[in-house]
Amino acid sequence: MGIALVVLATLFVPLFPGSWVFNRLVAGLPAGLAQGLAVLVLPQLGLEVLHLTPQAPLELAAWRPWGMGWAAVSALLYAVRALSARDVGIWSRLMLSSGLGLVWFVWWTGAPTEVLRIFALSWSVPAAVALFLAGALVDRMGGACVGLQGGLVEVMPRATTGLVLAGLALTATPMFPAFFSLWRGLVAVAPAWAMMWLPLIFLWGWAAGRLFQDLLFGDYRGESVTDVGVATIAAIGLLLAGSLALGLGASGGLS
Amino acid sequence: MTLTLGDRLKVHAMVYVASEPIPRFWPMRTFIHHNPLYGLEDKPFAEAVAEGSRLFHARGYLERAQYQRYRREGKIDDEHLRRRIAMFLASRTDVPAGVDLEAWLWHMATACEKSRAVEGGDWVDGAGVAAALKGEAVARPDEDLDPALRAILARHYSSESPVYRHVDALFGTTIGATLDDLVTKSCLDFFDEGQSAWQAPGREAGFFPAWKDLARRNVRFLLRGLHLRQVLAEEETAEGMIAYVLRRLGVPEEAWQGYITHELTRMHGWAGFIRYRMSAKHYYWAQRYPAGLVDFLAVRMVLGFALLQEGSRHHGTPASASEVASLLDREPRQAYLRHELYGGTVLPAWAHKVDDTLARTRPAQVARMAADYAAARAQWENRRTAASLRALAQGVGRSAEAALESLEPARLDDLLAVVRDWEDAEGFMWLQAMESHYMNELVAKIHRPATEARSDRRPFAQALFCIDVRSELMRRHLEALGDYQTFGIAGFFGIPLGYLEFGKGSEAHLCPAVQTPKNLVLEIPAGLDLEEEPLYDALQHVLHELKASVLSPFVAVEAVGLLFSLGLVGRTLAPLGYHRWRRRLHADKPVTRLLLDKLNPEQADSIIRAVQRAMIVRALARELRIPRDKVTDDDVRNLREVALGHEKGPSMLARRLGMTDAAERDFLEKLRGVYRIDRAVTSLQMGRLGRIGFSIEEQVRYVTQALLSIGLDRNFSRFVLLVAHMSQSENNPYESALDCGACGGGKGLPNARALATMANKSEVRRRLRERGIVIPEDTWFLPAIHNTTTDVIELHDLDLVPARHLLYLERLRSGLNAASRRSAAERMPQLGTGSRLAADPLAAAALAQRQAHDWSQVRPEWGLSRNVYAIVGRRSLTEGVNLEGRSFLQSYDYRLDPRGRLLENILTGPLVVGEWINLEHYFSVVDTESYGSGSKVYHNVAGRFAVMTGNQSDLRTGLPTQTVLKDGRPYHEPVRLIALVEAPLEFAQRTVGRIAKVQALVAGGWVRLLVLDPEDDYRVHVLEDGAFTVRPRSARSVQAPPSNQPLEASS
Repeated sequence: MGIALVVLATLFVPLFPGSWVFNRLVAGLPAGLAQGLAVLVLPQLGLEVLHLTPQAPLELAAWRPWGMGWAAVSALLYAVRALSARDVGIWSRLMLSSGLGLVWFVWWTGAPTEVLRIFALSWSVPAAVALFLAGALVDRMGGACVGLQGGLVEVMPRATTGLVLAGLALTATPMFPAFFSLWRGLVAVAPAWAMMWLPLIFLWGWAAGRLFQDLLFGDYRGESVTDVGVATIAAIGLLLAGSLALGLGASGGLS
Repeated sequence: MTLTLGDRLKVHAMVYVASEPIPRFWPMRTFIHHNPLYGLEDKPFAEAVAEGSRLFHARGYLERAQYQRYRREGKIDDEHLRRRIAMFLASRTDVPAGVDLEAWLWHMATACEKSRAVEGGDWVDGAGVAAALKGEAVARPDEDLDPALRAILARHYSSESPVYRHVDALFGTTIGATLDDLVTKSCLDFFDEGQSAWQAPGREAGFFPAWKDLARRNVRFLLRGLHLRQVLAEEETAEGMIAYVLRRLGVPEEAWQGYITHELTRMHGWAGFIRYRMSAKHYYWAQRYPAGLVDFLAVRMVLGFALLQEGSRHHGTPASASEVASLLDREPRQAYLRHELYGGTVLPAWAHKVDDTLARTRPAQVARMAADYAAARAQWENRRTAASLRALAQGVGRSAEAALESLEPARLDDLLAVVRDWEDAEGFMWLQAMESHYMNELVAKIHRPATEARSDRRPFAQALFCIDVRSELMRRHLEALGDYQTFGIAGFFGIPLGYLEFGKGSEAHLCPAVQTPKNLVLEIPAGLDLEEEPLYDALQHVLHELKASVLSPFVAVEAVGLLFSLGLVGRTLAPLGYHRWRRRLHADKPVTRLLLDKLNPEQADSIIRAVQRAMIVRALARELRIPRDKVTDDDVRNLREVALGHEKGPSMLARRLGMTDAAERDFLEKLRGVYRIDRAVTSLQMGRLGRIGFSIEEQVRYVTQALLSIGLDRNFSRFVLLVAHMSQSENNPYESALDCGACGGGKGLPNARALATMANKSEVRRRLRERGIVIPEDTWFLPAIHNTTTDVIELHDLDLVPARHLLYLERLRSGLNAASRRSAAERMPQLGTGSRLAADPLAAAALAQRQAHDWSQVRPEWGLSRNVYAIVGRRSLTEGVNLEGRSFLQSYDYRLDPRGRLLENILTGPLVVGEWINLEHYFSVVDTESYGSGSKVYHNVAGRFAVMTGNQSDLRTGLPTQTVLKDGRPYHEPVRLIALVEAPLEFAQRTVGRIAKVQALVAGGWVRLLVLDPEDDYRVHVLEDGAFTVRPRSARSVQAPPSNQPLEASS
């Protein structure tokens, strides 16, 4: 029963190959708000399922190295895939899948569910923002493949700012919650495991760099479009600032 | 494969033909403003612009929105624009009935801000648009999809385009960018002029041989997986290599010419620089390290071929033109999807699906996706076009929308064709309408001279300024201040000279770039101890060596790094004070004279003898440790004769000192080889000395020509100032672009000094008198230089001024200083420094000084920006008129030029220089990236002769955005040079007709010619559409030029 629930949870807190279902499910929803809400809710559902088997990490202790290794592989796999993604929606989902792979990593260390929830939200919130903005791009341009038009910042400075901030948050840039979560996970495992995080951070940075290049540089070549509203970007700003405060608080504050 | 001589010549000829449209790029030390489309000047302007756009992927006109902005500012002649629209429509036979196209085009031009009001597309046609207008679905292009796709692909993939460009467009690779990087690196290695601490070896052999030798062992290429050895083993020569690669690429021979053109124009900065080197016989670096475009092309072709091979091996991409052609023909659906996806034109909603499908490589799926995508694309393109047409019709108003909806598909095709062709031609129409406005403005400004009779009043001073637009301000203020008369003359004062400055190792050509000077002038110090080097200069030399060395920085940073911070802080926080302090550390430049008179053979021989003797004395001291006091003059003379083979050895000195035969032979060899005491070298030096100076006849001719060309043949004042000009800025690779264009991007002071020296010579004046030009005994020609950054005019050769003139110098200086301050007060606010400076000349002048020494200043002055007019005529036409520093002013009095020879000289020299300057600015504004050089902020100096963007790019030609844009909008208003010539129409036409080049420029519309006919009641005739038409009555009632204006009135 425990294993069955764990396997079920991999469909919501994406872990390869269950992550395939998660991604199909999210991709199947209309771009924008629906996808954004889905990535906020589904991982929490998955964690709820895991919560039903609190003893699982202990019962499966013999599998722990394999489980942590698999979580690491899953995170790395999606980080590599994100490198080639040019569509903001796909990029966000892949980065989220990569980040949430680490939830499993921490789960194997026996972390309590509350910690896992915050850990998951660290990636879910910026991913939700990015997916919401991807929806705005789809509405305006028919797609969210930013590399096609180039220089989106010229015509949609507000949306671009939101995307860049969400991208930074998703790649665990310092001060964003994912950074503190990552740090917390890092100190909870043996140093040998920490080596795995280095290529992961490197891949995330690279993937974000490619996305930012398409967003920020070059001349815009697409049709004329209207930017997202000031209220929308203000709400996004508040959300990210709230998550920033949450991250800082959860990490013990600035001191 | 061995090439025949015919094959070699064929490749050479193709490279030559392909390179013709590429503008030469002069090293930036002597920046030459030039027309980027110089190679296309044989075509009419509009045609050349279209061709230039094709070759260099550049824009030829401003965006429509900018022209609309000009229109709102009243800088467009509406009436002219309407006339152009009517003429355009009159030339069409396919205008659909029932549509008021004149209203459509007017609305499109003046109200639609998009650069293309109606975008085209591969699938747009009348039927599709008609369906979209009715809200119906556009028919799917399923039937005959493959032939349609092949036709579309054939339009995009010409066999004349480089193969790697096709591969990049079809597979999303970056071979083109990688190739550009590798070629740039190779060029930087070879063409370096002393910037690198370590130079590439073997450069004397030429570009391709040197590169080939290195490439075989280049680890960088090996690491990239480029197998160059095999390719390079196939052919020895550059021509052979080009032919070999073209054949291996499967490029049909009839497409070679186009292919080579594409390859050369892709990096036209480097190609232009190599073109310049090929034509500059005197260029030191070209003589030493020869290179041609054939070498450049061979390097590029080899690298491109190797990259394609590497791509084929690792990614399975096509490696030849035939493989690309085969893909396009066999799998048009896959190729079309690739073209859309990697070309960046795919519909965003389809991007991921298309990418996925291509990644799966299932033919059936690809075929289905291509059909679906083509249908979606056709739908989207036709709907977009229909929406654009409807929006236009709604803008036109009245019944335009109903008329549009009632059009049959065939008529819609006609409408689209008319609109498309208009949009292609619209930029040129705007340009003409803008020029028409400026012509009207000029015609309104100029006034007929107060009197036809020439004045006998003797001004306090006369000043000859360069025709440069920046002189106009200074002249206006100087004239307004008092009894000054000014003239405009090309800044080289009509004397093309090669100039060897004291302390410089190479000759500078101070004349328009189109001329090659025959005469050489040397600057000789009047008194200086050559062995002594000031302490600070020596220290600076040591520091420079430390910086340039490869190893020393490792230790030098800690040891002397702090010293550099002094300069850093000083230059940043107090540029002016720091500059003054540093100037005190440097030794003053000694007083110098120009060696101006022609040497006779005896004098030349004497100079060579003197130099050779000095060299022998030095050789004895260095090689044999024999000091001067142990050697007599006879010994030296005898050694020279022996070394030259005039006398037999042993020499007197060898006998006296008991030198062995071997030792003497060795020393003599060194004298010949190292110290150049050699018969052949002596003969060469005699030839070179023959270039030095001007004969008295030449001097008389140049002075006569200079004076008559500006109409100054009588009534000379006490001082005749010959004011050259220069600029001054820090940390500015473009500094010479702000210097004198007529002096080949140099400073014109040597020319001013030369003319002054000639004109002050009594023998010259005696001969001038015989020709009717009487220069009074108390007239003194005084050279000066106008610093256009600081507005300061500095007088030179004051030590030669006769004592009786010194009394008047103070008055002259105070007048010049006042004019300088007034100029600064007018100019500084234009640089965005605040309008309050207009009322505070002292503060403006101080700020101008600071600008000149501020190393962070990207815009020390506006230079020649906003130039628009060239006025060839008497100053009385424009005296007192504020021409806003936008006019080249060449003084000319047709009454002194009955045969038109002087006008010929003006048209072939100053006018062409003006045209180059004007078009350099024009194209740098209309396309700041392709014709201009982009932002200065990202520039890095390349090899000490050019700039690149970032650390590696094509050489950036043209002007930076900081020179032509202000706050992101054009500061320079791009119109062609409007040249007004004051002369009888028939006389002017005859003169222009005698000079083929000028006639081509005028008839081709590269210069807009206006003739102000003084014998036809000062009516202005303008050349338009191949014929002269009379401009509305231009001459205003006779009015006296204002003088002694207060500052407020003139600024």
